[in-house]
Amino acid sequence: MIKRGATATVLVSGMLVAGLAQAEYSAGDEIKVLQGFKAGGGSDTLAQLTQPFLSEALGVDFVNEYLPGATGAIAWTRLAKQSQADGTVISITNTPMLMTNYIMNDAISYSVDEMTPIANVVTDPGIIVVPADSPYETVEDFLAAAEASPGTITVGNSGVGGDDFFSTILIEQATGLSFQKVPFQGDGPSATAAMGGQVDASFNNLGNVYGHIEAGSLRALAVFSAERLEMLADVPTMTEKGVEVVAGSSRGYSAPADIPEEAREQLIAAFESLKNNEEFQQTARDRALNLDIRTGDDYQQMIKDMETQYEQIWEEVKDQVNE
Amino acid sequence: MDNSLIMTGLVNVLSFTNVALVIGGTLLGLFVGAMPGLSATMALALLLPLTFSMEPASGLSMLAALYVGASYGGSIAAILLRTPGTPSAAATVLDGFPLSQQGKAGQALGVSLFASFFGGLLSGVALLTAAPLLGVMVLKFGPVELFAIAVLGITIIGSLSQGSVISGLLSGALGLLLSTVGMDLITGTPRMTFGNINLFSGIEFTVALIGLFSIPQALLLIEKAHGTQKVASRITDRLIPRLSELRHLMPNILRSSGIGIVTGLIPGTGGDTASWFAYNEAKRFARDKSRFGKGDLAGVAAPEAANNAVVGGALIPTIALGIPGSSSTAILLGALMVQGILPGPNLLTDYGDVTYTLIWAVIMANIGLLVVGLMFTRMCVAVTRIPDSFVACAIITLCVIGAFAINNSLFEVGLMLGFGLFGYWMQKAGISPAPMVIGLILGPVMETSFQQSMLIGQGRMGIFLDSPIAVVLLCIAALSILQATPLFRWLRTAVGGRRQTQR
Repeated sequence: MIKRGATATVLVSGMLVAGLAQAEYSAGDEIKVLQGFKAGGGSDTLAQLTQPFLSEALGVDFVNEYLPGATGAIAWTRLAKQSQADGTVISITNTPMLMTNYIMNDAISYSVDEMTPIANVVTDPGIIVVPADSPYETVEDFLAAAEASPGTITVGNSGVGGDDFFSTILIEQATGLSFQKVPFQGDGPSATAAMGGQVDASFNNLGNVYGHIEAGSLRALAVFSAERLEMLADVPTMTEKGVEVVAGSSRGYSAPADIPEEAREQLIAAFESLKNNEEFQQTARDRALNLDIRTGDDYQQMIKDMETQYEQIWEEVKDQVNE
Repeated sequence: MDNSLIMTGLVNVLSFTNVALVIGGTLLGLFVGAMPGLSATMALALLLPLTFSMEPASGLSMLAALYVGASYGGSIAAILLRTPGTPSAAATVLDGFPLSQQGKAGQALGVSLFASFFGGLLSGVALLTAAPLLGVMVLKFGPVELFAIAVLGITIIGSLSQGSVISGLLSGALGLLLSTVGMDLITGTPRMTFGNINLFSGIEFTVALIGLFSIPQALLLIEKAHGTQKVASRITDRLIPRLSELRHLMPNILRSSGIGIVTGLIPGTGGDTASWFAYNEAKRFARDKSRFGKGDLAGVAAPEAANNAVVGGALIPTIALGIPGSSSTAILLGALMVQGILPGPNLLTDYGDVTYTLIWAVIMANIGLLVVGLMFTRMCVAVTRIPDSFVACAIITLCVIGAFAINNSLFEVGLMLGFGLFGYWMQKAGISPAPMVIGLILGPVMETSFQQSMLIGQGRMGIFLDSPIAVVLLCIAALSILQATPLFRWLRTAVGGRRQTQR
């Protein structure tokens, strides 16, 4: 794609030159962003939302480089192993995918220890949706049905290794129930299968199904967030129902390990400034993105906690999946 | 349906800026489509950020025009250079390129353009009038039905095998085998990847396609570069097909458009599948099947009408249900989201003004395509006057760029060249690459939907007989297989008494 200059207010793309530079980024005037997925996907949406604002805060240009393949692992391997650790290369990191990639596959050799987590930006909470004409009116109905006939209630997810797959296992472990998990190629097809009644339920993410819930073509039973969501105030959380599961799909930014401390602090400060940026918050709301900004050590902690949690889960279930 | 919204949409599109953007978008689409490796999806994704600051009608018009333009553009290189510009144009090669070799490139391109126009226009009309009706159909297609479609698609291999059936089946089986490379959907286990993470998401279909068709063609051109004088196409007068010709092709175009619309609206299948289905049906319905593969205009019209009809077809579930029918429409859906519209079944009602604008933009884009296409294509035909050795080098260069652009990685370039050498060998051995391409397209669909069906049906094979749609499709598949066996020929001779000429 062509890099283009723009004057003042017209922010056209994520790799724009900001009109006004307010600060001078210590590592240079250009940051390359490795994206592990195709242009136009969820990661790109985040880039297009965030980077114009960051560009202004840091006074740098962002250049997106799309390296799709192996559910992001190609880009993340490049980030961890083959990128200059000087703060000029960062990547959009999707959790839990970032960790489950190498937890599940020995051939994927990077790990989060070879990265510097900068900031998480959005979290799309997990959600249980059922067809509009489903017999399950509440999450209790749903869990009761699973208890009555173990392993037969079909539950769609976005693919093995994705967050929906793991949140299904988390719920199975927390409740002692078992579902028939049906993987699809992404959130969209999983939701569609629920709409068509091909599966009894889909464990999905709010952003993908919100429009359908609003329009009544899918019914939300429960969300996997810590507290009830503003957008769906009458949908209970799993925690309320005594099932301690909080899960979702998050996207943020990370750099290679050992980047200069000054660059790291400047990047973190740029993300911190998004918290108080009214225009940014409004744009995110318009695009139905659920902001969850956690920077620096907080993001690192979030990643480490998840890594431990998913390593344990995979250790317990891998034989069952591979049988 | 609210008629005032329909009119609002029309008025939104018919402004000077938007018409200009439609023409610009179509041109860009034609260009992107004609380049092997650059796809409509890629161009849409890259253009999307530019539309953020535009009026919804302007942005959508441009994106829709790009999508429509690219769907036709793929046939240009397919006909002129035997290099399908897009996966959807692979079937066009079979008859388009022989026509070009006979000096009828202009005629082939003209038919392709008009077929694309009619296909696109019909799908646009279907979109405008029957979207909510057809949209409901989409939800009936789950993994079980998708599996049946894939099985039906695989049977096309039987009728495509020019010459030896055995080598056709071999080529198809090889395609199916290669389609299993990559992570298993159910277990996440990498298969046949040799620990190379570049292969984890499987072999990129476009990479194989470029290699199998284009590289052998370039090598053949180099072989013959100093030999015979090539037949230059003189077509300036024949780009617009004769009325009698069009009338003759019309039933074919209508049927192919229907196939395109239906294939487009089923999520999981798109232009690449539709064009093969349409080609196969055109052959099935043709009186003289022997001309297929040697330069029959019907063999160009069918896939091209179908792959442009897919555009409207894929938009039907997108606007009726908020479910994208293809990866390209997923990006168009993204364009709607940026305008503050959340995907859902209320696009036609709550956001009717924007949605009808999109529909009209598709229709307008097809008219734009006809006008812009005529001029653009006239220019492209000049390629046939360039010496072969230059063309060969240009093809290889474009292939390398195209393969690289898919994932921005050199690995794909190497893979493409590997497929190229294999394709060259196949060419020499007289094995058609077309069945292999079908295997590669449908293999993943078939495998995934089979595994999903087994999970949903608790491992019970009977699940395929529970769905009426699947039963009908599987029966047609069984018939198609029967039709390709000597038994069927024997039956026909016995019953009809009409002698079948030996092929």
